[in-house]
Amino acid sequence: MPEDKEVQAVVAFHSQLSTALHSVVVGQRAAIDHVMVALVVGGHVLLTGGAATAKGLIVQCLAKAAKLSFKRIQFTPDLMPSDITGAEILEEDTQTGKRVAQFVSGPIFTNLLMADEINRTPPKTQAALLEAMQEKQVSTSGVTRPLPKPFYVMATKTSLETDGTYPLPEAQQDRFMLNIEMETLSEEEELQVVTGNATAQLAQLPQVIEGEGLLRFQQTVRGIAIPRAVQQYIVNLTAASRPGTPDAIEPVNKYVAWGAGVRATQYLALGAKARAALEGRAAATQDDVKAVALPVMRHRIGVNFRAENDNVKPAQIVGQLLESVR
Amino acid sequence: MNDQLIAPSSAALGKEHVARIRAAHDAILGEVRKVIIGQGQVVEEVLTTFFSGGHCLITGVPGLAKTLLISTLGRAMALTFKRIQFTPDLMPSDIVGHELLRESGGQRSLEFVPGAIFSNIVLADEINRTPPKTQAALLEAMQEHQVTSGGASRKLDEPFFVLATQNPIEHEGTYPLPLAQQDRFMFSLIIGYPTKDEELQILDATTSNLAADIRVALTGAELLKAQQIVRLLPAAAPIVKYAVRLAGASRPASPHAPDFVKQYVSIGASLRGSQYLLLGARARAAMEGRLAVSVDDIKAVALPVLRHRIVVNFKADAAKLDSNEIVRRLLEVVPGPKAEL
Repeated sequence: MPEDKEVQAVVAFHSQLSTALHSVVVGQRAAIDHVMVALVVGGHVLLTGGAATAKGLIVQCLAKAAKLSFKRIQFTPDLMPSDITGAEILEEDTQTGKRVAQFVSGPIFTNLLMADEINRTPPKTQAALLEAMQEKQVSTSGVTRPLPKPFYVMATKTSLETDGTYPLPEAQQDRFMLNIEMETLSEEEELQVVTGNATAQLAQLPQVIEGEGLLRFQQTVRGIAIPRAVQQYIVNLTAASRPGTPDAIEPVNKYVAWGAGVRATQYLALGAKARAALEGRAAATQDDVKAVALPVMRHRIGVNFRAENDNVKPAQIVGQLLESVR
Repeated sequence: MNDQLIAPSSAALGKEHVARIRAAHDAILGEVRKVIIGQGQVVEEVLTTFFSGGHCLITGVPGLAKTLLISTLGRAMALTFKRIQFTPDLMPSDIVGHELLRESGGQRSLEFVPGAIFSNIVLADEINRTPPKTQAALLEAMQEHQVTSGGASRKLDEPFFVLATQNPIEHEGTYPLPLAQQDRFMFSLIIGYPTKDEELQILDATTSNLAADIRVALTGAELLKAQQIVRLLPAAAPIVKYAVRLAGASRPASPHAPDFVKQYVSIGASLRGSQYLLLGARARAAMEGRLAVSVDDIKAVALPVLRHRIVVNFKADAAKLDSNEIVRRLLEVVPGPKAEL
């Protein structure tokens, strides 16, 4: 069990960072809440939604407010794994004239990596990123190098065009703790964005935490209690999403090709713990689970042809799971 | 375990040899149990292939701790471990390695940069996502325990063990493994979701601050010796005959094939099928500390050995019969040694 002052430190961070983010980003309240959950769990985030929905802005704000080293990679069809991880190059020693191989680290050696339009790059390059995400280390030429701590990947996926894209295999999507869908802004909010000056506000953003602090918060979150009944609810929720199993609910058997795996169970628990910590509570509740269910489960549920025909989306399936599972 | 494990011949094999294998098995299992919850059968079957020196194919959805299981086994045996994510654009040289031009002291030379295959344990993740030439590079290494690149052959590290996974969910953009290549895997395993109780335990164990400490239970050299002993384990003639009969009965052209095989099977188990039935049975006996291989040992390994070696025809598809069901029926109808005596 974490000490009360540890939980209070998470609460203070929450209010400072959320104030800072809302001073720059218009709207997107739910997205900001969920990004904060991922930060204190140490999970990676897949940001989806239309163009110009502040995905990049949120990530930039985080880098600045949390004092994290920040790199951005634009994924393109011709990007190579070594463009991400780094490569050995031959360097000439000016004194001896000898050439030696030297490792030049790639942009992945950072605390916060923005992976833009990850589905534009071929599978081997995607795999290089996703392996680093999972293992938190990079192997090149037989040498394994650890990545800096903390290490977060915030990836975006283009959904505007499908031409020339390489869809992320579901096994690889599973490595993202959350899939946060950005909201479309209301007219009022759009007006606010157009008249505002996000760049100037971003420059004034205060620094509220360091990477070290985030690592401590990750420990605190894992120490938050989760009662047996809440654990049982989580397991019921994921089991009900798996078609063809005795626990599956009826819409799942009708529309779902594959359900949420064990990682969903783990991240629902961690997400619920994080939410409890961010709100200063020592134990997670069923409502905490419900609050993170959509971003945890959305990208882990695959729908079948029938669902596409009837225009049923994974988000609706999650909604039905939350309604029917007790 | 120690040097006494070396057994020169089958005749010199004693109870103490299998007792040590059993102890090693129990110790490894104890380490694995610290981090893996549930999946008891899969863990036993993977250990059987370890003690047999065979390779293993696992079919199952993502997130079922396949990587954790195999990396934990690596740690429990102090073996090197590498994971390769198979993708449509992976090349044979990514697996095998490539030659690089290096310069030192004005001299240029070709230097071989070993690929990920140079490891004791290789996890080949989603092997059916990669094109045939790259699959073939892996499968050749599995068979030969060596790779050839730039005209030179290089031995792989021993022990060498490949655990390949296939994702059953996505069929788009996959390259199914040809039967001849599947045949190189000793076992084909199916891993399913944990039970609700197990999933609760997983949740409890993996989302808190507890970290398990994995100790070395057996070294790679000791594992190699254990594999030698397994191969020397005596099997009585009727047992061997049963293994051959079982594999033979799966071939539709065989005179011993039951009617359902003639009706539903297009390709039966190869010779490797009977070889691996016997080898798997020997490993199972040794892991349980027994010197004698029993019929039950053969029966216990029949499903993982035969399921990927039997191909059913379209009639079977229509009748919703798969190769698992064929193996189950074979086990029922093929007479055991006792019935023949």
